Amino acid sequence: MATNKTNAANVSQRPVHTLWGDAWFRLRKNKLAMAGGIFIILLSLAAIFAPFITHYGFAQQDLTAILQSPSAKHWLGTDGLGRDTFARLLYGARTSLAVGIFTQVIIVGIGLPIGAIAGYAGGSVDNILMRFVDVMYSFPSILLIILIKAILGGGIYQLFFAIGLVSWVDIARLVRGQIMSIKSRDYVAAARAMGGMGPYITERHLLPNSLGPIIVTVTFSVPQAIFAEAALSFMGIGVRPPTPSWGTMINDGYAVIFSSWYQVLFPALAIALLMISFTFLGDGLRDALDPKMRH
Amino acid sequence: MAPLLEVRNIKTYFNTQDGVVKAVDGVSYDVNRGETIALVGESGCGKTVSALSILRLVGEPAGKIVSGEIIFDGIDLLKLSKEEMRKMRGAKISIIFQEPLTSLNPVLTIGRQISEGLEFHKNMSPSEGMEEATRLLKMVGIPHPDRRVHDYPHQFSGGMRQRAMIAIAIACQPQLIIADEPTTVVDVTIQAQLLELIRNITKELNTSLILITHNLGIVARYAQRVFVMYAGNIIEYGTALDVYHSPYHPYTAGLLGSVPRLDEPRKARLQPIEGQPPDLIALPVGCSFQARCAYFVPQCLKEKPRLIEVAPKHFAACWVSQKELKPWQIL
Amino acid sequence: MADIIIEVNNLTKYFPVTRGLLRRQKIADVKAVDGVSFTIHKGETLGLVGESGCGKTTLGKCILQLIRPTSGDVIFEGRDLCELSDKELVPVRAKLQMIFQDPYDSLDPRFTAMDIIGEPLRIHHISKGREYSDRVSELLGLVGLAPYMAQRYPHEFSGGQRQRLGIARALALQPQFIMCDEPISALDVSIQAQIINLLDDLQQKFGVSYLFISHDLSVVRHLSDRVVVMYLGKVMEISNRDELYKNPLHPYTRALLSAVPIPDPAVEMKRQVIVLQGEVPSPMNPPSGCVFHPRCYRAFADCTKVVPLLADAGGGHQVACLLCETSRP
Repeated sequence: MATNKTNAANVSQRPVHTLWGDAWFRLRKNKLAMAGGIFIILLSLAAIFAPFITHYGFAQQDLTAILQSPSAKHWLGTDGLGRDTFARLLYGARTSLAVGIFTQVIIVGIGLPIGAIAGYAGGSVDNILMRFVDVMYSFPSILLIILIKAILGGGIYQLFFAIGLVSWVDIARLVRGQIMSIKSRDYVAAARAMGGMGPYITERHLLPNSLGPIIVTVTFSVPQAIFAEAALSFMGIGVRPPTPSWGTMINDGYAVIFSSWYQVLFPALAIALLMISFTFLGDGLRDALDPKMRH
Repeated sequence: MAPLLEVRNIKTYFNTQDGVVKAVDGVSYDVNRGETIALVGESGCGKTVSALSILRLVGEPAGKIVSGEIIFDGIDLLKLSKEEMRKMRGAKISIIFQEPLTSLNPVLTIGRQISEGLEFHKNMSPSEGMEEATRLLKMVGIPHPDRRVHDYPHQFSGGMRQRAMIAIAIACQPQLIIADEPTTVVDVTIQAQLLELIRNITKELNTSLILITHNLGIVARYAQRVFVMYAGNIIEYGTALDVYHSPYHPYTAGLLGSVPRLDEPRKARLQPIEGQPPDLIALPVGCSFQARCAYFVPQCLKEKPRLIEVAPKHFAACWVSQKELKPWQIL
Repeated sequence: MADIIIEVNNLTKYFPVTRGLLRRQKIADVKAVDGVSFTIHKGETLGLVGESGCGKTTLGKCILQLIRPTSGDVIFEGRDLCELSDKELVPVRAKLQMIFQDPYDSLDPRFTAMDIIGEPLRIHHISKGREYSDRVSELLGLVGLAPYMAQRYPHEFSGGQRQRLGIARALALQPQFIMCDEPISALDVSIQAQIINLLDDLQQKFGVSYLFISHDLSVVRHLSDRVVVMYLGKVMEISNRDELYKNPLHPYTRALLSAVPIPDPAVEMKRQVIVLQGEVPSPMNPPSGCVFHPRCYRAFADCTKVVPLLADAGGGHQVACLLCETSRP
């Protein structure tokens, strides 16, 4: 009769899965998220390589061919100044994507530290910061963006700033909540018991474990920024011509909406598709990164 | 006299992403009228699932009772319609869950929750139900029952909530109560209160009790017969005295050996069972306990042992003990 | 008796309960720990037992200064830890470690086993490179895990194995003292025994002292040399393990002992269960006099008025009960 020690050998027989690997695996299975992701990538590539895809410029006017329907020459037709709609869509994508992504830099740059400080410090520091956040929340964001833009004036960089300065509140609240909840975990207590101090714990434990929800929130925040830019440009106070923008295109198309409704349709569709792609991707990321939804 | 409940060869399987989990794989036991039996085992052994199977509370479509019979007072519960089964639950057979916080409805008063069952099963009016609920709260030892009957679950402490659950369970005077780890979440002195309460009530109403637990001490104190489960099967059963003093399965012996006892002088070392419980999706051929067993013989790796009467009214499923050898016998 | 390594004197921890939006007014104190004193000796296991709300976990965290006590002192290596700042505590922390109850919460899910066990080494800048990974392998071996598991993540281990990781981590800096906060409550019975043996072996090997906190009296008695019984923030009784069972002096201790069923039907048939009435009162509003008197089956008039002192009733056996002469102030 033999003795049988399986203590050491009995780790799960399923293959090694890092947390990011597991998340990627689950994300891949989500068709909508993948579709969204692929659309974003394709659109980005098209925007970057626009000069190679279409020979028309975004400001290139051809007054002999105004308001044309889609044809072999102008794939999506032309607008009131004879500019090729397809080309304008492609170059407009650059603006939308740039706004969507660069505003996040500002949003995370402001929101993350504020949220982290509020969450970690607690007490009156947290109180003051969060009341400030509440005040920011109480303003309708679009109006505030308009106000800031009016003060700052100018073009696209000021627009990034305006949107960023208003939209960081979501991330701040989220990060604060995450930090507060993780702070009370035993592994943080263990790190403190070992002699770890505040900055070490924040850097090595608190932030990495908050990363999941932060990524998801940022992904959802992108379409909001894109929409803000489009709305402002539609109203004429966003980016200035000749910078291409889908919002401006809608505004231009609005004037001729009854005769050439597709001038409004194409940019609107583009905005909708890009926003929904980020939303699907965000949903997919949230499910993929949620540790409770494993198995 | 025929047993009140006869579970015959129940198999309850779950379909999961990774395969079929055979949570309960051919389990049979019986409960006589007025008797308290215990289902003992560690997490994942299938004791809770087998009890939920009796009440047909297994979550479909993922979980399914694949085969077997459950004869309660002469009727096969698995053959009843959903409507008929509902009339059984709470009235003839009731259950006390482990975690009263999640088993009680937070938006209904305790009185309403007790009275619900009474209205459904005994056709009482709401006011009659509330009156009876007050009486029941008094019976389970809740002070000021006439006031407390209008309180919500969150206004009760943990021990009180469990008493409320007991009140709900006995409201319609069931013939059988299933108590699934009823005291795991409460403190030791509250545990003593609750278990004594359950013992007194089952004696008074002559109710049968299935006590599901992993605590060997509770079993020794309250159960007449005990069924030991491992990886979805019953591997030993008999009277509590027989099983504890003369275990015929190495798992039972191992469990008893790994629990420190208050009354014995301090042992130099405990005798733990090495290894981990098996993965229920990938059970080995032969005896499920082989990986952790210090006494296995070649037959254990080939054929799954069946329950055989190894002593009067004492059954075990082990090839080694059936050969009249018990190398683990503690003297 | 071996030397004392930790001395706890009159430790209290009160949590203020406040009301009001801007100007927070204190309406009451939750007296989680209310004047606790005891000593821990080198190489000894001191068991700390009590039910929920007794303050044992808070007490443990106060000793390690993870929660700062309201008053009292904790003397270690000649210094009062309560007086040291967080920065000054860092080198001291290497010698005082902790094992947690929840095997799922006490390990950072984003760290590999190697990261987890090696974290104390990294924080204290001890050993790098080859030396570091050797030490981690050594620690893994000490707790019965294979070296190849170093690259795995916590979610790939079972509960018992995760607890072993926690123990390996606690040992990394060769501490003199480890506080074990209910380290086996969340584990299966057969796994509990493995961990108990492991803790025992490690103590034999390294001479480390334990404060073993648990609600499970059988386990506490098995592992401990001496036992402290707490109730509602106060110490009811301190005695060595054999005395506690043979001759419990405090009514609460007796009730506690009788409430624990012994896994032997023959023994159980002969036992009388002492069933306490009522629930544990809230630490926000502790009873007057002896905090146990509302539930005590031997309470008399004085118990509602006089707070019994924790005093020596003979041979190191301390008890706080008016039934004993020595506890009367």
